[in-house]
Amino acid sequence: MALLDKYPATLTAKAAEHLLRRTMFGAARADITALTDKSIDAALDTLLKDQIAPAPPIDPTTGQTWMNDTARTANDGAYNNYMKAWWLGLMATSPISISEKMALFWHNHFASSWSVVNDTRYMYKQNVLLRKNALGNFKTLTREISIDPAMLRYLNGNQNRVGSPQENFARELQELFTIGKGPEISAGNYTNYTEDDVRAAAKVLTGWTDTQTTVTSGFTLNRHDTSDKQFSSAYQNKIIKGRNTASAGMDELNDLLDMIFSQTATSEYICRKLYRFFVNFDVTPTIEQQVIVPLGKTLRDNNFEIKPVLRQLLGSTHFFDNNIIGAVIKTPLDLIIGMVRQMQITLPNTTNQLAFYYSYFDQLRNLAASLQQDIFELPNVAGWSVYYQEPLFYQIWINSATMPPRANLGNTLINGWTLTNRATGATMRVTFDSLVFLQQFPNPEDPNKVIDNFTQNFFAIDLTSEQKDELLSTVLLPNLPAYEWTVEWNDFMKTPNDAQKRALIKSKLDALVKYMMLIAEYQIT
Amino acid sequence: MKRRDFIRGATAVALPLSLSGYSARAMGLSPMLESLAELTAQADRYLVLIQLAGGNDGINTVIPLDQMSTYNSLRSNIALPENKVLKLTNATGLHSSMVGMKSLYDAGNLAVVQGVTYPTSNFSHFRSTDIWMSGSDFNEYLSTGWAGRYLDSQFPGYPAGYPNATMPDPLAIQISSSSSLALKGANAPMGVNLQDPEAFYRLVSGTSVNGFTTAPDTAAGKQIAYIRQVQAQSEVYAKVIQKANASAKNLASYTPAGVNPLADQLAIVARLIAGGLKTRVYMVTLGGFDTHAQQVVATDRTLGSHATLLARLSEGMTSFQQDLKLMKIDDKVIGMTFSEFGRRVGSNASSGTDHGSAAPVFVFGKAVKGGVVGANPSLTNLDNGNLKMQYDFRQIYASLLKQWFGTNNSEYAAVLGKDFTTLPLIQGSTSVAEEEQTFATNGIRIQNYPNPVSTSTTFQYTLPYTSRVRLSVVDAQGHIVTTMDEQQAAGAYSINFDTGALASGAYTYRLETERGWASGKMVVAR
Repeated sequence: MALLDKYPATLTAKAAEHLLRRTMFGAARADITALTDKSIDAALDTLLKDQIAPAPPIDPTTGQTWMNDTARTANDGAYNNYMKAWWLGLMATSPISISEKMALFWHNHFASSWSVVNDTRYMYKQNVLLRKNALGNFKTLTREISIDPAMLRYLNGNQNRVGSPQENFARELQELFTIGKGPEISAGNYTNYTEDDVRAAAKVLTGWTDTQTTVTSGFTLNRHDTSDKQFSSAYQNKIIKGRNTASAGMDELNDLLDMIFSQTATSEYICRKLYRFFVNFDVTPTIEQQVIVPLGKTLRDNNFEIKPVLRQLLGSTHFFDNNIIGAVIKTPLDLIIGMVRQMQITLPNTTNQLAFYYSYFDQLRNLAASLQQDIFELPNVAGWSVYYQEPLFYQIWINSATMPPRANLGNTLINGWTLTNRATGATMRVTFDSLVFLQQFPNPEDPNKVIDNFTQNFFAIDLTSEQKDELLSTVLLPNLPAYEWTVEWNDFMKTPNDAQKRALIKSKLDALVKYMMLIAEYQIT
Repeated sequence: MKRRDFIRGATAVALPLSLSGYSARAMGLSPMLESLAELTAQADRYLVLIQLAGGNDGINTVIPLDQMSTYNSLRSNIALPENKVLKLTNATGLHSSMVGMKSLYDAGNLAVVQGVTYPTSNFSHFRSTDIWMSGSDFNEYLSTGWAGRYLDSQFPGYPAGYPNATMPDPLAIQISSSSSLALKGANAPMGVNLQDPEAFYRLVSGTSVNGFTTAPDTAAGKQIAYIRQVQAQSEVYAKVIQKANASAKNLASYTPAGVNPLADQLAIVARLIAGGLKTRVYMVTLGGFDTHAQQVVATDRTLGSHATLLARLSEGMTSFQQDLKLMKIDDKVIGMTFSEFGRRVGSNASSGTDHGSAAPVFVFGKAVKGGVVGANPSLTNLDNGNLKMQYDFRQIYASLLKQWFGTNNSEYAAVLGKDFTTLPLIQGSTSVAEEEQTFATNGIRIQNYPNPVSTSTTFQYTLPYTSRVRLSVVDAQGHIVTTMDEQQAAGAYSINFDTGALASGAYTYRLETERGWASGKMVVAR
């Protein structure tokens, strides 16, 4: 049986949960229910469906978006936080869809950062581009990102002109975005491309600049190197014909991408990256041969459309292998946004509580950033190192500085935050109510069911019966027989409006939730 | 002012050290005072709290030998044979399985405090446990624990600035996977934060815990193992705990590991103390006391689940005490047991007992003033089938805070929310009558007439402000005879009190409000 054979069965709740955990942020109970008993095809139809573009971020103090401003304003630091909150909000409220996770994949792949680009209008425009092509065509996206205003700034493409080439983008385009660096077989020869190819590609890419009033890019012929560009034997000694027309920049860019994308290494490189993002870091020779190589072929056979690759990968028996479930350490966003989704935290609405809504996600942004994942602020052009840095990979998320706040996250979310609307001074409290959460499950009076329902919903892999016993007998019911829960619960239900009894029951559930998040198993997905 | 604010406010102004009534802080940091302060902070006095979770059947633990016929008739299916009871005094004995604790008693190292609970019993495990842990009134909801508040007062600002040179160790350690309310301070749990209890447990016990040690042999399992390792490393106190644990060996023989969970936990505590940790408070737990059914074996009532639990308690405590002695640290450590409630006086048809109220508390240690404190609870003079309160559990907390940890009345009153009459539990503590000490009375006066009293008297007082008010009458042994507890508006009050049920003798009465208290004495003479 080949690893990429289609997953044959309808999805169990556990399989649906795995699929959702990996393609979204956490698995909300309603989403699991929606995919359970579906065929893998039907589930992927739902997940891979194109989503309509969201409305732009709004400045909650004015109720208007600033994205059409003709200049960066001094307020851009605050705008940056609104924009981040906007995206985190989309992640947390998305319908069943892979789109936000794919947008994040591309954001990590075509990395950039606000502190370098220095203008939210640019960052937003790039995000719109990533979002538009998230489930589209890799080659199209690469073409558009090559002349994206934010990318022109981030990798200095806008300074690349004839006579004074700027090689930054030309290098990263090959090293990180498309074909990837192979072994350095001789000085300046990285198997898939050479230093000469970097210089040649830089010449191809001369002439592009950005215009900050409109946040657009344009081609200026007199900045362009019109000579022929000679590539190395890595590219079959291809010559890209120099042009001298208004469309020279785009024509030569197309030639360059045709050349790069015709190399098998390019399709396999992006498939490897998808594998490490969605499945597992460990690309063994078997995975290389049985997963990456065939996926690369699928990508080429489908003219670089991404959906068929995702369909094949996420619908494979390998993806649902027991050894894959739980193999990924949650990213801070998996952890934080996932908690918001799976705990069904009631969020402020975006119609008349937008300031609170952004304020809540601003808290989450802070938290994620402290755990080393800050969107719109990639650490460098290679993206988050967990996806490439051997030998630790995902384990890089975990260290003695990040582990305590990670383990304390249940506490943080249960306590919640008092949010302030800076304009009006009004406040609003957003917390997690473990009692409401429990009551959506049947048989809340049965302590074993309480443990089962909570653990099933919170953990990617099943806890051992010893661990569940521990949760029951030392956390939910410290050293008491199980029936005492039923006694206390029934007593509470006689007077469910008794605030003190409610608080007592809730404090037990809170302790359970907090403790579950201390367990190492909570960190994997 | 709300009760909670009252307690908080009081804690905030409680001074960490007292020297002849002056605060070291208030007097400034002269070098002499600094060194004294350090000495005090390093005071070698440790307290071990043993929680008997589930509600221990006190009547089958400490048997009222003076009421055996009532005992046998109310507990016909679970009563211990009188000749098996281990006699402490003519009137009082221990369960036959508590041989070790009997010898501790004989050596003067065990105090038995009778009839301990709080006014207005709550029969919910959850609620009553919270009351004992937090040290609250029955209708008061506190989010901090009594030991946590004490540690807060001694180590202000914790956890900010800790560990430090003066206090490099955890303030409290609980050998359990979940941290209890008792150790919760205002800002944080004062107990060691067990990020990864199983790793911590492995660290100090060298043994495995159910199912936690081995991560599955999968990709997920490898990640889990890594995460656990980092969790253990990021525990700020892991190194000092490991060092202390490694530098001491148990010298007494305990029950073999894995048989008696309490003995296992106490063996760890002994090593940590002997290993030099300055941790003030330890908490360990023995569960299973919720004996609704079959607490004895029908053919031999000295056996059964309750007997097993008491044997574990007794053996654990005795080995621990012996260990401390051999380690030559027994003068530094005392312990106390507690349980959320006792059990109903009459047994049920399943040879078990249902949730009750008062129960005995054991205080043990070389420094303890051994003996039986209080009278056997009456098995006939009951509240709805439950024993009446003889001592408020907070009197024991107050006694230990004062006599063991050396806090003065206003300091422990701040920790406990109000003043309590102490009991002589530690050697050197003089009498049951508390030392009257200034505690801002805020103009409250109380008096009674007539005095001496024959059958009734009237208490008179004027309340300058609206407050929760508690009026208690306490006998010469420190037993609370009766308590009134209610919310009252400002104004003048006359409270009639029927003394018909009181024995002749001297009594103290106390009026406590949110801002202070006042007291008086009366004599009942007939």
